Amino acid sequence: MKMMKPVNEFIIQKENIFSGALSCRGCGWTLLARYVSHVMGENTVYVVPACCFSIIAGPNPMNLMKGTVVHTLFAAAAATATGVRHALDRQGKTDTLVVVLAGDGGTFDIGLQALSGAAARQENIIYICNNNAAYMNTGVQSSTGTPSGAKTTTDPSGKKLPAKNLMGIVDAHHIPYYATASPAYLNDLVSKLEKAKDASGFRFLMIDGPCPPGHKHDPEVSIELTRLAVETRYYPLIESQDGDLIISYLPKENRPVSDYLKPQGRFAHLFGDTDTNGIREIQKQVDDSWQRLLKMQEITSSSVRK
Amino acid sequence: MTETRITDTSEIRHTDLPPHHTKLVMKGNSAAAVAAKLCRVSLVTAYPITPQTSIIEEITTMIDRGEFDATSVNMESEHSVFAALKGASLVGERVFTATSGQGLLYAHEVLHAIAHMRLPIVACNVGRPSFPWNIWADQTDSISQRDTGWVQFYCESSQEVLDTVIQSYKLAEKLLLPVMVVLDAFYLSHTSENVFLPHQNLVDEFLPPDQRSGNRVDTAQPRAFGGLVGPNTYDDYNKLYWDDVNKVEKVCNKTGSEFGKVFGREYGAVEAVNIHKNTKKVLVTMATITTTVREVLACYPDIGLLKIRLFKPFPKKSVLNALSTAGDDCNIITIDRNFLGDTEGALMQEMKRALFGKTCKVFGVYAGLGGRDVSADTIEKIINLDVDSPHTEEVTWIR
Repeated sequence: MKMMKPVNEFIIQKENIFSGALSCRGCGWTLLARYVSHVMGENTVYVVPACCFSIIAGPNPMNLMKGTVVHTLFAAAAATATGVRHALDRQGKTDTLVVVLAGDGGTFDIGLQALSGAAARQENIIYICNNNAAYMNTGVQSSTGTPSGAKTTTDPSGKKLPAKNLMGIVDAHHIPYYATASPAYLNDLVSKLEKAKDASGFRFLMIDGPCPPGHKHDPEVSIELTRLAVETRYYPLIESQDGDLIISYLPKENRPVSDYLKPQGRFAHLFGDTDTNGIREIQKQVDDSWQRLLKMQEITSSSVRK
Repeated sequence: MTETRITDTSEIRHTDLPPHHTKLVMKGNSAAAVAAKLCRVSLVTAYPITPQTSIIEEITTMIDRGEFDATSVNMESEHSVFAALKGASLVGERVFTATSGQGLLYAHEVLHAIAHMRLPIVACNVGRPSFPWNIWADQTDSISQRDTGWVQFYCESSQEVLDTVIQSYKLAEKLLLPVMVVLDAFYLSHTSENVFLPHQNLVDEFLPPDQRSGNRVDTAQPRAFGGLVGPNTYDDYNKLYWDDVNKVEKVCNKTGSEFGKVFGREYGAVEAVNIHKNTKKVLVTMATITTTVREVLACYPDIGLLKIRLFKPFPKKSVLNALSTAGDDCNIITIDRNFLGDTEGALMQEMKRALFGKTCKVFGVYAGLGGRDVSADTIEKIINLDVDSPHTEEVTWIR
């Protein structure tokens, strides 16, 4: 009898990270590092500011990545990457990629000035933010990436104001490529990483970052929750090339945002008693943002920047 | 830009002109900019701040004209200026920047990181204080960075700025330590004076290209730099650092002496003037105040001068050696152009530390803060402090 060879349909055939990552179970960072390194390859310098990944990448002298890692200061990721990029260029190493791996605190808050500076200078670097929507490395404090309603240790009754529209800020810098992506949609993630890699100039990717200890859910539902974030339009997958914004995935069903919120302990207080105002408010924010994206898509497709 | 350009006076020849030099009239800031070019710096990051700005203006102008082969990047803050240098130096480039006052204070966090990543970066600081707003000569900004791990030189003249930047790269790359070269605001940064500008071949002879191997980004040999270090090994790095900090004074004196052989101008960690067995008082100075003291001293044969050029790490051996010829009854008067919110200025603290166990008395004066002119009259007042009177305070404010 002829033996059937098992079909190997894994995207990653050869790992570009080592085993032993120091992430929590169900963390998005390690999965992201696998796919980033798979696309970027070994001729890459990763610049890592203070964030969960500065721990996950390994204590000195260990290195999770099959690539060079430059650890740097919290506020300084994009600036340090700028220096690395220009120095590599001076040495003729223009093929070497410079990739920032930062958290949302180091991107939305303390690192925003450096990010804006590098984006405005069109530095030839790829900036990737794993957005787990709070300062998780220090134990779940609110960042301006924390969504409204979410409980953190510094917003113990739930955050009152919505997250900063970082993609809007990034868009204002007229960069050649930016996108959001999710670890639940790996082909889309890989495609966006590849497009970012192939473009030149300042490129920005924001990846939804599941975080079981911070979002208060079981590790095994991490990917399912990030999928729900996209399906409920809570975390839209978008992409912009040379100013054209498109929604890269249109959910088939119109699922309520509560499907995404309910399994997470950080939103549990919204589901108590009879007061559902909190959920309605979040649903409204999500609907408004979605409508805004649809309009943006329509406007930019008429090529205002071309 | 014309006001900050170097006047080309190559036709004018001074009788003392050393071989392979051109005599020019240069501001301190111009000397810093030209020194970076002569050192074949390949990457400069820039952010404007008075009174440093003309340094980066001159550098970017030289790069723009094609006279200086380097990459210049206009950053969005001094924090980013130094963070980008950290990245570029880690990749192995010879890098430079200049800042002042608030800018240096803003970069404080990065200064620590650069030093402890052992990156041989050289930066000029044109000293000015913090708040309330003041842009004039004051060393409080750089003195308050003395514990970041950077080597610090304080310069007296445009010539010394130029020569010290060149020596600083040699020292930095030998010991893998960053070096800060400090200029007094306006009295040095914007004052034009004669400078012997060495020709490129002399500088190339003295300062070969950065020969760091290892300890730098090389994607062919992937490694992580700056990752977490635990309690069981952290102090090993400190100890290695300390071992090299202990070499700075000796390397500084050796480098200054080698520089003399090539350029005809010798430098040391300190400079002693008129210190002998009959010296009754020694004024201890840093930077431009030294020049005024030199002038006044001509009328006071029993007053000595000790100029501290290398401030950090404090050159204790050189200080003790310079004072060794003075008698036991010689008094020390330190002049501090820095105010650290402490009873004693930084120079007084360091001198007391160096002279611990010695019989001489140390008096301190605060003078010239926030740019107040330290004139010959001011120096006379300091010289005439009645240090033998029991009513004279240990620390005096001279205005």
